[in-house]
Amino acid sequence: MDINAFNAAKTYGAARQSLRPELTGDKPSSSGSGDAFNAAAKAVKEMGAAVAQGEQAASQMMVGKADPHSVVEALASAELAVETAVTLRNKVVEAYQELIRMPV
Amino acid sequence: MNVFAKAMNAAASGMNAQGFRMRVISENVANTDTPGYQSKQISFENTYDRAADINKVEVGRMTLDLSPLQRSYDPAHPLADESGYVEMSNVNMVSEMADSREAGRSYEANLATFNQARTMYSSLLDLLKR
Repeated sequence: MDINAFNAAKTYGAARQSLRPELTGDKPSSSGSGDAFNAAAKAVKEMGAAVAQGEQAASQMMVGKADPHSVVEALASAELAVETAVTLRNKVVEAYQELIRMPV
Repeated sequence: MNVFAKAMNAAASGMNAQGFRMRVISENVANTDTPGYQSKQISFENTYDRAADINKVEVGRMTLDLSPLQRSYDPAHPLADESGYVEMSNVNMVSEMADSREAGRSYEANLATFNQARTMYSSLLDLLKR
């Protein structure tokens, strides 16, 4: 895993693309930045799916179509997915800052 | 879908089933004084959700309680037969109350497993937060 600033910018661009699957055709590995990035992109996608499911369940609940248990279940899953993603992001940012602070 | 999400999904199906049970109990209690009403009974079934890969609980067939209807003597009742008896419902209030208590307890148990799964996942994430 190479750690220069240019690669960071490239990875950031790839991450932005992977958040918009309609551009890449569901293939986040175009930059070739390794398995860790792919895993992170997959986690982000799962989070997006969970949040979308939660939103859908909530709107179904508003029009009286869904039972409250599935709504609570979907929203709890979405909450945990977001918490997971935020925790991982914090960890990655922390690692990056650790590298930046390293005296050369 | 991770194990905790599956656990929460299964617990939600249990809560839904107990809610359905409570609905049937309420219908029975509401119809206690309805002449000719036969109380309804439900059974639970285990069902495998292939998409989510979990065993859920589902409400099975609803059956009617075929025990004899309660006969009460009321000659003034419009539905009384020639000997003055009216056939009321066969709802047994005591067993309905016991059943509703059990539904509530089972609901609580499912709620507890749901909460436990969520807490376990949260505390796992707390490891990363430091």
